[in-house]
Amino acid sequence: MPISRREFLKLSALVTTSAALSGCGAIYRRLTGSMSVTEWSPMDEHDFTVLNRLTFGARPDERARFLEVGLKPWIEEQLDIQSIDDLDCSLRLAPFRSLEMEANELEAISNQLFENYDRESLPAELRLASLIRQVYSRRQLYEVMVGFWNDHLNIFTEKGNCFYLKTVDDRRVVRTHALGSFRELILASAHSPAMLVYLDNHVNHKGAPNENYARELMELHTLGVNGGYSQADVMELARCLTGWTVKDHFWLGDFEFNADLHDPGVKYVLGMEISDSGINEAEQVIDTLSTHPSTARFISSKLAWRFIADDPPEELIQKGARAFLDTEGDIKSVLRVILLDGVDFVQPKYKRPSDFVISALRMLHAQTDGRGPDESLRGMGQSLFGCPTPDGYPDNSAAWQGNLMPRWNFAFRLVRGEIEGTQIDMEHLLAYVPDDDLTVRFDALATLLLGVPIAEPFRSGLMELITSGGTNEEEMLQILAAGILVSPSFQWK
Amino acid sequence: MVTPGTSERTAARLLRRPLEKPWMPRLAFAPPNIAPRGDTLVVIFLRGAADGLNMVVPHGERAYYRLRPTLGIPPPDDTKTKPEERTIDLDGFFGFHPSFQPLLDAWHDGSLAVIHACGGPDESRSHFKAMELMERGVADERGPASGWIGRHLASLDTGNSSPLRAVAMGTRTQRSLSGSVPVSALRSIADFHLGGNQHLLDQMRSTLDLLYEGDDLGKDTLSIMNTMQSMDPMIYKPAHSALYPETELGMALKQTAMLIKAEVGLEVSAIDVGGWDTHFAQGSTTGQMPNLIEELALGLSAFYADMHEHMDSLIVVSMSEFGRRVSENGSLGTDHGHGSMMMLMGGNVAGGRIHGQWPGLDEGQRIGPGDLAVTTDYRDVLSEVCVKRLNNPVVSEIFPEYQPRMLNVVRK
Repeated sequence: MPISRREFLKLSALVTTSAALSGCGAIYRRLTGSMSVTEWSPMDEHDFTVLNRLTFGARPDERARFLEVGLKPWIEEQLDIQSIDDLDCSLRLAPFRSLEMEANELEAISNQLFENYDRESLPAELRLASLIRQVYSRRQLYEVMVGFWNDHLNIFTEKGNCFYLKTVDDRRVVRTHALGSFRELILASAHSPAMLVYLDNHVNHKGAPNENYARELMELHTLGVNGGYSQADVMELARCLTGWTVKDHFWLGDFEFNADLHDPGVKYVLGMEISDSGINEAEQVIDTLSTHPSTARFISSKLAWRFIADDPPEELIQKGARAFLDTEGDIKSVLRVILLDGVDFVQPKYKRPSDFVISALRMLHAQTDGRGPDESLRGMGQSLFGCPTPDGYPDNSAAWQGNLMPRWNFAFRLVRGEIEGTQIDMEHLLAYVPDDDLTVRFDALATLLLGVPIAEPFRSGLMELITSGGTNEEEMLQILAAGILVSPSFQWK
Repeated sequence: MVTPGTSERTAARLLRRPLEKPWMPRLAFAPPNIAPRGDTLVVIFLRGAADGLNMVVPHGERAYYRLRPTLGIPPPDDTKTKPEERTIDLDGFFGFHPSFQPLLDAWHDGSLAVIHACGGPDESRSHFKAMELMERGVADERGPASGWIGRHLASLDTGNSSPLRAVAMGTRTQRSLSGSVPVSALRSIADFHLGGNQHLLDQMRSTLDLLYEGDDLGKDTLSIMNTMQSMDPMIYKPAHSALYPETELGMALKQTAMLIKAEVGLEVSAIDVGGWDTHFAQGSTTGQMPNLIEELALGLSAFYADMHEHMDSLIVVSMSEFGRRVSENGSLGTDHGHGSMMMLMGGNVAGGRIHGQWPGLDEGQRIGPGDLAVTTDYRDVLSEVCVKRLNNPVVSEIFPEYQPRMLNVVRK
């Protein structure tokens, strides 16, 4: 519910005095519009890389906490998401009322009766809310994992009714199980109308089978392409999944198992005999798939790729896979192994567009309602929930290295305050830095964005270039900040 | 504060080209075909189901006038109406809507072709579904979710790594472009200009020069950006005094022309024109739809004149998700129909001709609730364009599970 400016001011007067002590800091910041900035200092390159892999771009307070407690306790704090106060982010999400709605409500608000459906508003809310969470949530590792599973279980909101069903999928499937049990995650996804529509299982009927979901469930969601299944397994699993569909009358948009559309009889999947048991058939197969050694290896590999390197060591993959099997797919347990055992093997990865945009916003303490960044991401080819193919946006460095211009454009527009609904307060950001020496401020900005001052000869080169120009101090600072954002180093995390 | 060694590490990062791992699914998509690029493709999608019957009028059909007593475009010899309100005869049976007058140059030059009674197999008459299927280039919901142009680009390695290889004009990236090749969305070339005063701008450019010294991709991008920086649609002088209309389409075509002439690697430009869903007060020779027809004609004719010297390496396609009901409705408009019309423009188009087989508009010839039948699948036309003009022989990749017929609408 929006609060008027007057109410804002009244409230802010009430909380000002006690804000720092009472945990109302978030409300205070929300009301006053500026965020607290803590001091920062240079950081070891490896630590900086690791921390930026675990977050969407570390802020100074996250750096400080990491250096204070160390990697392992920092990860444990982040994995215990309920213990992390996230009021600031929640307040920012308050206007997005569709996030908590059920499918039939979402359908109703998009249905314009005599006009066509409004297919734009709900996906836009979901994108903006996701961007805001990535920027402002203090549960950073959780948000990184939400992003990981949204790629792994990719759904394209432009396909059929996914435009309203994905909102439910994001909440019930991905956000509910992101750090839970892999089996529960896949089971929830299989019951998710958005997934069933996206991969055509809602039209997988007795006598008219559609193999799309059955294939991707094995190829992309669990076993992996060389995970040891055959075309016959795909066809038999598709038979098990006949009748898994979406309600189109009462409780419209909810999952439904329609026994009339289910193909009866015994099925054989992965060498198992599945007796004729309706909805239990596919659930039984999902049990097997989600605890299969191929799945363990596949998930461990993808996590290692995301968090450690494009080319992670085989030993680490095996260790992660073992943890997966030992814990029957407990996501936190696998993640601990990948992160703690993998930390020494961390290699730079090229930022995907969303990493680039979100890290710039986070590190510069930008105030954003998400609109401009959302538009920019579209121009960079990584609109959230906009990947048409079921394998999700690629997670390898090479895939994203071709398109620099929109990044440069974003950087220059960001520092000049030209991104819609987005501001940076450079003076507030640099409050701790002496303002009489531009070089000191430049080094501070680079230390904030890159972990260390920018390397020579670029450092002196840039300083010389900018100071010789005769622009005013504000503009010089803008160019220096933009220069760091466009630098090759900032394109890597 | 200097940290020696960081620049070396940065250099090492830049040189890193990680290997694809065999266990990752379908992330690396190796183009099956390597060939020099063909024509620049400009696709204009008329959103909302354009009424092809009132654009290229079958004035030889009595049923047309019977079913459209008020909306029908008067025949060429209709002495009861003013000459400028009559159909412009093309071949004795078909004629242009009078607002298509500006297209006559291209028509008479043999650079403009029409394929009538053309469309997709989907009969849902749903804009969304039909557009989705058509842009994906598939017959029904199954099949790849990516777009046909996206798959064309992905399946043909032209050695072109330009960030402007495929451009979506406007804010939205058309579904047809989606695929593994990055697409730039371009509202205006001015969006690629770095803001601020000249001085600030020079400093920003020098900053990029400095930072990307020795990086090939960075240098390529810089040179394209520098080229774009000097391009301003507001002061651009089209060739042959061509005059682009002050509309979104005019702007999109003008910028497409600018990008082609600037040789920045443009292979595909996708343009949307909305407003064709004319259920109500459509207008016959004046009004809503005639305005749209005129806008389209003025845009295309300006582009044709401006790009005269480039026509041999250009192919423009206009298409719509389906056509409109043959009979007019009770509110002086037309409802959703089936068969539509495509146009092709370019130096190697078999132009000055109406292609396709005319199914007729009489009872028994119309389909469904009374619609123009589809006798040419849109994929036949696009397949031929891909093979003959875009140098891409792998039509099976672009339109999976479809066997195209070649109609000879373009020359090799």
